[in-house]
Amino acid sequence: MKKKIIIFPTILLAFATLVVFQACDEDLPSNYAFDPYEFASLDENGGDWLPNLLTSSAQIGIPAPTDAGSVEFQAELASLKSLSAQLTGEQKAAVDYWGGDGLIRWNEIARELSAKYNLTPAPNGDGSYPAPDPDNPGNYPLFPFAHPPYSARAFAYWAAAQYDALITTWHYKYQFNRPAAFNADGSITTHLPLNNLPGYPSEGAVIAAVSKDILTAMYPLEKDYIAQKAVEHQNSLMWAGMSVASDITGGDSLGRAVGKVFRMRAASDGMKFAQSPRPVSDSIRDAAQARFGWHWENMETPTRPVGITPLYSKVKLWCVPNVVAVRPAGPPAPNSPEFQTAANELNDVLDNLTNEQRKIANFWSDGLGTYTPPGHWNRFACESIVKNRYNPLRAARVLAYLNMAMQDAGIACWDAKYYFHYPRPIQAMPGFKTILGTPNFPSYTSGHSMFSAAGAEVLSYIFPEETATFQNYSDEAALSRLYGGIHYRFDIEDGNTSGKAVGQDAIKRMRDDGGE
Amino acid sequence: MNKILHINIFMYLLSLALPGGVQAQTPADGLMMERGQICFAALYTHDTWDEYWEGTLKRTNGNIGTFTRQTVMPMFALGLSDRLNVIAALPWVKTQASGGQMRGVSGFQDIGLWLKGTAYQHTLGSGTLSLFGVIGLTLPTSDYLEDYAPFSIGLGCPDFSIRATPQYQLDMGLYIRGTAAYMIRGNATIERDYYYTTQGIYSDVVDMPNAMSYAATLGYWLFDYTLQVEASYDGLNSFGGYDIRRQDAGFPSNRMNYTRAGMFIHYYPSFLPGFGIVAQGNQILTGRNVGQSTAFTAGITYQFGIWGTRETADAAN
Repeated sequence: MKKKIIIFPTILLAFATLVVFQACDEDLPSNYAFDPYEFASLDENGGDWLPNLLTSSAQIGIPAPTDAGSVEFQAELASLKSLSAQLTGEQKAAVDYWGGDGLIRWNEIARELSAKYNLTPAPNGDGSYPAPDPDNPGNYPLFPFAHPPYSARAFAYWAAAQYDALITTWHYKYQFNRPAAFNADGSITTHLPLNNLPGYPSEGAVIAAVSKDILTAMYPLEKDYIAQKAVEHQNSLMWAGMSVASDITGGDSLGRAVGKVFRMRAASDGMKFAQSPRPVSDSIRDAAQARFGWHWENMETPTRPVGITPLYSKVKLWCVPNVVAVRPAGPPAPNSPEFQTAANELNDVLDNLTNEQRKIANFWSDGLGTYTPPGHWNRFACESIVKNRYNPLRAARVLAYLNMAMQDAGIACWDAKYYFHYPRPIQAMPGFKTILGTPNFPSYTSGHSMFSAAGAEVLSYIFPEETATFQNYSDEAALSRLYGGIHYRFDIEDGNTSGKAVGQDAIKRMRDDGGE
Repeated sequence: MNKILHINIFMYLLSLALPGGVQAQTPADGLMMERGQICFAALYTHDTWDEYWEGTLKRTNGNIGTFTRQTVMPMFALGLSDRLNVIAALPWVKTQASGGQMRGVSGFQDIGLWLKGTAYQHTLGSGTLSLFGVIGLTLPTSDYLEDYAPFSIGLGCPDFSIRATPQYQLDMGLYIRGTAAYMIRGNATIERDYYYTTQGIYSDVVDMPNAMSYAATLGYWLFDYTLQVEASYDGLNSFGGYDIRRQDAGFPSNRMNYTRAGMFIHYYPSFLPGFGIVAQGNQILTGRNVGQSTAFTAGITYQFGIWGTRETADAAN
């Protein structure tokens, strides 16, 4: 009797422990697991596609490569042959990680940096707030604060530069038509799926160089980390037996030249004035008060004196011709019947939040310390790119239009936010409490709704078979802000409409770029 | 876009280690129920802090103000034999902050089950030297959100612990006790599938750091074993986990450490046979990724025989 009593709970505990801890100590994924694939198509005419910023695919010149039959090229092949014949474990891991062109990996790195730098400055002891200083990026608060407007812009420059650079790459690949190393010498050991793209310049080297150039400009403190990644990536192309040294050198110089063109745009796109000083910010607020009779206030303690990027609306657009053209009609006046309906809904939803609603709010929150909503949509895009086995040029086209659309959506959203300067629920509904932190900018329209609607619009156009999924994601991401208690339904619905219009402007451009 | 800065606090561990010890029926103390004896306890804890450690930086946060965590914990300890007890507890937790606009939460936390045995007990000099061993398991009971610092009800992970508790008690009633537990934690599952610790993780699974808790206690039985008083120093050390970054939110897998001092009394009024009254206070002294909490506990215990008991007159009360 006595023994039985002891044994039963012991067995129960041991069993429960076994079940529960079985799953421990697994390696959690820090990137998207996919096998390098054979491209579904090569887009041989890709050199004729229309770049966005370059005037043509021949604007940037690169030196002609040595001839396929030349002594120099043969020497390069021989050298590559011995290099790729036997790999160390580390080299093999690098080849597998980069998977050749590495576009998806660099997109992940861009997401990673966005998440790492997406932290808001802490207040000083006296209740004031310090601001990141691009000229002293290492001083706290570190530069940048990669909030959604900043991150959307970083993604857009990275992706648009890749696209223009790869159009140029295709142009020269087929102009010079030097075979890729493994096609020139079938005895070279290769470690990745093969293709019939001409080898010079190496698309992987271009992508690494563009990434290094743009991401270093966006995240200057990561200079060394990014450089080390780029070196590893370019080396991995040789370890894989894919590219000879001159393919990489040619690609690298092309990538850097394109990166410079985009950096010049970035230097004068208005972003440096977006985080306006307090007097400007106050005058924007006062203008809204005079126009509408209301204004938004930051409700944090201590109060943040300036919202996030009041002048982001002035930043140069990619595809939308005119930001005012996509500006929504405007929110209802606080305490109007229409407002009251929205406020009642918020109270009701938050007081009776279901687990499902809470999950949606959290799943899409993409808040501080994350890659922001644009990062989330980049993730979806990369998954669809892999699923459809897109070559890097076609993949870059997806990412370029997606991210140009999302930055435009951000610019248009911020235009509405600071034009209408609408109070957040926590300001307009005294005592109201949320389950997500309320961001430091006005309510109308919802950024999540605009980013997501624009993103879903572009991705649905490119991957029509996934339209239902993307629209569902977009709707859920938008509604998640209501469940979180930080947006009214009209913020979401008007943001959705406006975001779709922005997406359509990007699609209009895409239709004519030759890549259909 | 959480603007509010959050932080995890240590009180999740209440059900894991019962830190500081609510004596007479806890995994960490030096008492055993005799065979067939059962002790029920109902405890209320009021725990507040207005400063916390963001990593190692101590700070306040206007968007939290004063943070309050209230816990109601029913528990029981049953003597399966004189040398083997089973203990169970299920805390109910309510959290709120005086600052900011974030909602507090409430609900049941983790159910805990412990087996506690007397591994060694011998007379030594004019006292008794004992060694108790405990294994325990806690499991989240409800679908509470652990990724909601500092409001979260618990850490949201299963926790298996092994504990050893040596004690030397003089016949005159003075005793000294040490205890240490190693806690092996399973994964937590959160409601988003990307998060950043020291790198981005594409998963909703959170790898939780294991931890060790320890305590040293000096106690005294007074007035013919009707009043027990204790002073304790205890702590927690996480093995792994990461520091909250500047102005970042807290996260379940932060490296949570603390040291703490506590006082405890348990009074067994002679006019209420079987009943006991518990009072306790604890103050965090040093910490990392936890709030500097000040906690007060009050509760009652009730002990009685349910089977095969000998005379209970020689029991503690």
